[in-house]
This record gives sequence, structure tokens and C-alpha cells, in this order.
Amino acid sequence: MKVDVVVIGAGPGGYVAAIRLGQLGKKVAIVNKSELGGVCLNWGCIPSKALIHAAKVYEEFQHAEELGISVKGVSIDLKKTQEWKSSVVKKLTGGVGQLLQANGIQIVKGEAVFETANRIRVKGVNSGQETIEFSHAIVATGSRTIEIPGFAIDDKNVIDSKAALELTQAPKRMTVIGGGVIGMEIGMLYQKFGTEVTVVEFMPQLIPGVDVEISQALQRTCKKRGINVFTSTKALGYEKKKDGLAISVETPKGNETIMSDVILLSVGRTPNGLGFGLEKIGVNVHAKGSITVNNKLQTNIPNIYAIGDVVGPPQLAHKASKEGLVAAECIAGHNEIYDVRAMPGAIFTDPEIATVGLSEEEAQKQGYETLVGKFPFAASGRALSTRQTDGFVKVVADKKNKLILGVHMMGPEVSNLISEATLAIEMGATLEDLALTVHPHPTLSECLMEAAEGALGKAIHAVNRADTRSLLERKRDQKHA
Amino acid sequence: MAFEFKLPEIGEGVSEGEIVKWLVNEGDTIREDQPIVEIMTDKATMEIASPTSGKVQKRMAGEGQMIQVGKTLAVIDETGAKASKPTSTPEAKPTQTAAAVQAAPVMAAPTPANNTKVLASPATRKMAREMGVDLTRVAGSGPVGRVLMDDLTKTPGLASRPTTSSNYQPRTTTASGGEERIPLRGIRKKIAEHMTKSRHTAMHFTQVDEVDFTALTDLKDAAREKYEPRGVKITYLPFITRALCQTLKEFPNMNGSLDDEKQEIIIKHYYNIGIAAQTDTGLVVPVVKNADQKTIVELAQEIASLADKAKTGKLAATDMQGGTFTITSTGNSGGLFATPIINHPELGIIAINRIQDSAVVRDGQIVIRKMGHLSLSLDHRIIDGAVGASFLKSMKNKLENPGLMFLEE
Repeated sequence: MKVDVVVIGAGPGGYVAAIRLGQLGKKVAIVNKSELGGVCLNWGCIPSKALIHAAKVYEEFQHAEELGISVKGVSIDLKKTQEWKSSVVKKLTGGVGQLLQANGIQIVKGEAVFETANRIRVKGVNSGQETIEFSHAIVATGSRTIEIPGFAIDDKNVIDSKAALELTQAPKRMTVIGGGVIGMEIGMLYQKFGTEVTVVEFMPQLIPGVDVEISQALQRTCKKRGINVFTSTKALGYEKKKDGLAISVETPKGNETIMSDVILLSVGRTPNGLGFGLEKIGVNVHAKGSITVNNKLQTNIPNIYAIGDVVGPPQLAHKASKEGLVAAECIAGHNEIYDVRAMPGAIFTDPEIATVGLSEEEAQKQGYETLVGKFPFAASGRALSTRQTDGFVKVVADKKNKLILGVHMMGPEVSNLISEATLAIEMGATLEDLALTVHPHPTLSECLMEAAEGALGKAIHAVNRADTRSLLERKRDQKHA
Repeated sequence: MAFEFKLPEIGEGVSEGEIVKWLVNEGDTIREDQPIVEIMTDKATMEIASPTSGKVQKRMAGEGQMIQVGKTLAVIDETGAKASKPTSTPEAKPTQTAAAVQAAPVMAAPTPANNTKVLASPATRKMAREMGVDLTRVAGSGPVGRVLMDDLTKTPGLASRPTTSSNYQPRTTTASGGEERIPLRGIRKKIAEHMTKSRHTAMHFTQVDEVDFTALTDLKDAAREKYEPRGVKITYLPFITRALCQTLKEFPNMNGSLDDEKQEIIIKHYYNIGIAAQTDTGLVVPVVKNADQKTIVELAQEIASLADKAKTGKLAATDMQGGTFTITSTGNSGGLFATPIINHPELGIIAINRIQDSAVVRDGQIVIRKMGHLSLSLDHRIIDGAVGASFLKSMKNKLENPGLMFLEE
């Protein structure tokens, strides 16, 4: 087969790139190892959010009494939940298939190996082989679960996120090793299904990298829900005992043993750059598997591009999609570059977390004098009337010109609210732009407006003053308060 | 561990470039994405950024030398380099020692730079890329200096301006003793066209007078002593600019232009004074807007800032538009007097040349004064000799008695 562009991998990076290329008139083949939609659609983003929704509904029913709704005998059959989840996934992957076909993309199922910078060999599922000659290639091979010593994945005692999202029965006790995004989402959803959840995190805070106030708030929420959290703790290994798995961990206070029925390993994902023959044809692939690219998403071999998780962090589906779009446009000869200034992130814990831009610490490290405005959801009429009052909106701005540098939220629906903040930062908006824009009442979005007003010292529904002290000063004052 | 940074792709069909300037020295600690060298090709001059943090161990070629794409540009010692932030652009951290590691280029192709500092909406940034415009060169008229879509689409000549000021032209030489032919391109060509137009329209004549700059020199030196510690360099130019504005107000017919098409004389009641500046790539004339309303210190600051921008090729189109009169000064290196060419479509231009100690006669005695010449070229279609002479006399009077310039404002 001879094509203009071959795309390796049909996840949110690959299929988006392929569709855009099709729209731009290129002849495209997309080579995919297993299911269309990649990890995101099949074993990641979509299945986890479906289960998280089911868990949420289950919990709502159990607490409906307060609203005057009497519910008796609420039970959950995870087998049926899984069936429903699969139907959702199937609809989406089917949709991707249709879009690809509609844009004239050839779908080739198999594993690709690069023979030259213009030819790949595809090992088909039925051991048939095929060569594809191309002018350009986009490598979108994604990432895979990182394994650590002492916790080899055996799909029984130690499982990864993929298996965790396919359980047909809620484990009695689950220990999550790695309190990052994946571990926390899955841990919290199973807690709602009745599992006793323990989280072991190596760093001093849950979800390292997110604004520290949010991380602390999440830890408090876990405590309220009965989820045991160990931070600054190293997981050493486990032993199978009569009454379950005995996991030994090294905490700051000494070694401890955690009893569990299953272990979820979620310490991170490593890029899949090796094993495709790229190194052999001269592409710069690092020992850890990531591929370096420039801001046109080109590798050191100009006609070979790489996008998504395989390029490096942040490992987000929408980042992969964006890179896919840019790579496609570059290949089609447009003068495009990857020019994202505000990459949002949404975490579906409960409450949700969403962030975009610089955290308060990052801003100060970069030398900004910051203005911070914080507004609690507890002061929001909408949040109160939906019984979701945990959390807050925090806006970080440059004191000099009031430019919005970052927005960090924890609370109901923040995964949707963050997009307004993302647009604000991309457009170079100031606190006044946000504060002066009318937000409808009663909505959760008002909290963003109020947080911006708070940074300016004039929030109506909260008695807060613009906090211009540094994070260190606030922490110190808090200690002495 | 030593990382060999090889020269990445620097343009389609371009196989080598000339190292114009190293921005770092051997031994310097650098950050990922920090520009380390300026490379020039026959298309443009660009900055190459380091794909990794570390210490510059060795610069593999010197300034003025050619280097091929793919050859090692610099060796960077990465031990102790920090991890990149999660939200930064794709990481570049080679960790293996296996076969020659070639980092991918971390910068954009010659046209539009990837600006992280210029405020502009995504649509505006995309439009800039399509137009081939470098956003750092556009004056943003939105709040907080935001570049608006209108700034891009309504600033004349933006798209056709070269995004980097490069005057590198390929030369073809014949055997020794023969000729050299250099294609007329870029800024040089623009200057040639502008000068031709000026001489072919305005009827140039030049009047010269000598001026006693002694008093002004004392004032300038005193001002310089006071303001230099504050970072403001006071030269003769701010004073000459002020004298010029005040004299133009006395002779309003000289501050304007002739609209050839409509056959109308446009008299301008604003005073935008162009200050000619010589750069490596040619002559440019940035304009100080509303110079009559600025203090000497403000003029000094603005002139210095414009000169700086001119030297580093960062003048925006708006910086060079709207002038009503021009001052050209060659400083102390530039001869006795001049016959300057008017900056079309203005009506006149004044030149200041060398100011030096000279023996002159005062009250029957020979004394030493700081003397210089003012050369005034005017468009005789509009301004007659007598008017020019009076103008020059009034300028001279102000410069010789600088106190007069500060009586009413």
C-alpha cells in the first residue's frame, strides 16, 4: 500500500490526526494494534468515567432520604454495570470507526515496525503481512503501565487500571499504590461500591503537581470517606497470606503492613516509543521510551512525527488530540505550531478537580508577585441546593497587570467549569475581564467570577480580601493563627 | 553526561548556516529552551534554543564559521539538569549513552517565532502565523498590550515586512581582480527606493550655518551627570529635538508634507520627529511621537529606547510611521556639514555633524568654543530660501541660548 501519511495508533491522538489529514485531502492509513480509540476509549478515560457515574448515582440513591425521597433496597450488580459500560465504549469506538471511514482513512489492524523512513511492515492479526509506503508518518503509540519491583502485574493480586475497570465484583479491600490521578479516581469510585480503600503515595502529597491546597483538601475528603491515605510512603512488596495480601510499606514513622484483597498498581505510565523499529532508522528514542519532538511535532527525522503520551507529559487525551491536529496541519503544509498556552486538566475524584495554568507555587517560583482569590462552593446557592458544597475555586493572577496565570478548582462540575478559565488564559484575560463578565445565577460558574472579584478585593458573597502574601507567608501565618 | 546538540533543520532545502553570534559561553549554565546561538542562512537569521538544561561544555564552531545541519553545534553537560515542568512543551532529556544522540530542534521554522510573552488570542496567533508575522514586532493596542486581530490586519505593510532583519545575500565572485555582484534586496533595496523617490519629488536645497554649542554642552553635561546614575543618557539630541519642535511651531508651513496627487499642502499640528539611526542592515528612521509634549528626560529615554530597538532589529512598523520632520546626526565621526536627503514625504530635514573645540572671534578676541554646523535641507517647492534662513536662525538662537527653550514650558 502506498499512502501520503501513515498513523501508528488509533487513540485520541492518532484518530484525530488521521481525520484531520483526511479533511485536508491526504491519503491516510491508520495502523492499530487492538481497538479503535486506544486506551482512552477502551480502558481509560471513558470506562472510568462511566463507572464513576454509576458509583455516583448509587451513592445519591443511598442519600436521597434528606430530599424526601424514600428508597429501599438499593443494590448494585457490577456485572450489569460493566455491560452498560461496555455498551458506551462500543458506541464510541464504533463512532470513531465511522468517522475514519467517512474521511477515507484506511484502517489496518496489526503491529507496525518501521523498516525505513518511508516504509513500515505491519504484522497482521492473522499473521498476514503488509508493507505500507508513506511520505509522512505520525507515531501515536501511547503509553503503558509502569511496573515496580515487588509488584509485578499478575491480573489477580496485582492489577493495573485496565483490569481494575473491568471488575465484576467490588473487592472487599483494595490498596492503591500510587496516589496520582488514575489511582485516586479508581480508589474513590470503588469506595462508593463498598470497598475498603487504602492509598499508598510516595510523594508528600496526593496527586503530586496539583496545587497544594487542593491536594490537602482531597486528603481531608478521603479521611471523611474512610479512605486510608499514606503519603511519603514507599511500597516495598507483598506476601500472600491466608486472609489476604500483606503489603509492607515504609512510612515516615516506620514500616507497616496493610492487609488487602487486591492491589491496584497506578504509579504512572511510560511512553511506548521502543519496539517499533524507530531507533533502528535513526529516530531519537530515549532509553525510557519517549520520543523528542519540536514544536511542529517532528522527530529528528523531519517526515516522521510523534504525538500524545509517547512524546511525554502531560499524558492527557486532549493534549494528544491537539498535537494530532497540529501535526496533521504541518504535514499538509500549513504554517502551524503547537502553541497551547493553557492546557487544562480534569480529575474525576469526588469532588472533581480541575486546573489550568500555573499553580500559586509555580507562579512565585517563576518570579511573579501573585494576587490570589479564593471562593468556596459552600457559599454558592447552586452548590448548596445540589448538596455539593465541598471545594473552592482559586484564581492566581499577576499582581502587576492582573493577568490571570492559573485557575485551580475542586468541587462539583469543575471539569466543565475549567474551560472558561482556559479560554481566559489563552486570550490573555485579566481578573477584571472575568470579574466584569456577567455569570448567570444560580450556577456554579458564578464562583469563578467571585474568585476573580476576590482577587481584586471585592467579592460580594464572601468576606475575603485579596491575598497578596506569598504562599510561604500564608502558611506561616496559618501556623501561628 | 555529555550531550551533543546537533544543528537541527533550519529551513527547507537549507543544509548549513553561519554562526552569527554565540549567546552563551563555555562554562555557562543554561536552561532548557534557552536560546544559545544565532544562526544565519540565506533566508533568515534565527535563534537556536537548547533542548536541555545543563552546562555548556564546548562550542563546536566559532562566530562567522559555517556549520552543517546535523553536525554537532555544542556539547552540553547535563549532570544535575532539572526535570522539565509537566505543563511545558515536549521534553528533551536524553538518558542513554548509546549511539550519537541527536536532539530534535526545539524551535520553530524561520517564520513566526513561538511567542510565549506576547498576549494574543488563539485566533490572532494563528492569523499571525498565516501572515508570516512575528508577534513581537506588532504593537498591541489591546488592554495590557494585547495584540488584537485589527493590529495584524490593519497595520500597513506588516505581512510584507521581513520577519527578521537579515541582509545576507549570496555572492557570486569571479576570478581575483574581477567584479562582485550583490543582489539588491531587503532593507537596502527599500532605502534605495525611498531615497530615489525623495530626490525625484522634493526640490532639495541645503542651507548651512554654524552654531556655538558651548552653553548647550554645559547644560547637557550637567544633565548627564545628574541622570546617568538613573540610567538615562542625555545627549544633544533631546535638546535639538525640543529646539526643532519649538521652531517648527514658529514656522508651521515647514511641519507637514505635500500631497502630490491632490496638489495640497498638508500642515500638521502634531510634531512627530524622526531620529535617523544607522544599523548594521541600513538606515532606519524611528519616530518620537508628539515630541513637543515631552520633557528632555523623556525625549532622551525614548530616543535611547528607539535606537536600541533599531540596533536589535525590533522596530515595529508603527515606530517608523507618522513623522513630520527628521533629525539626522552622524555624531562626532561625521564631517563638517552635510546635504541630507529629505525623508519623503516630509518638507525638511536637519543634520547635525561634528561638534568640536574651535577658535572663534568674540569681542575682538580669539576664544575656544564648541562649534558645530546645522545643515537644513528643504523642499523648495513649498519653502523658499528666505524662510529657510529665518528658520535656521531661530534654531541657532535657541541652541546657543538654551535657556530660551524652557521659558514657556
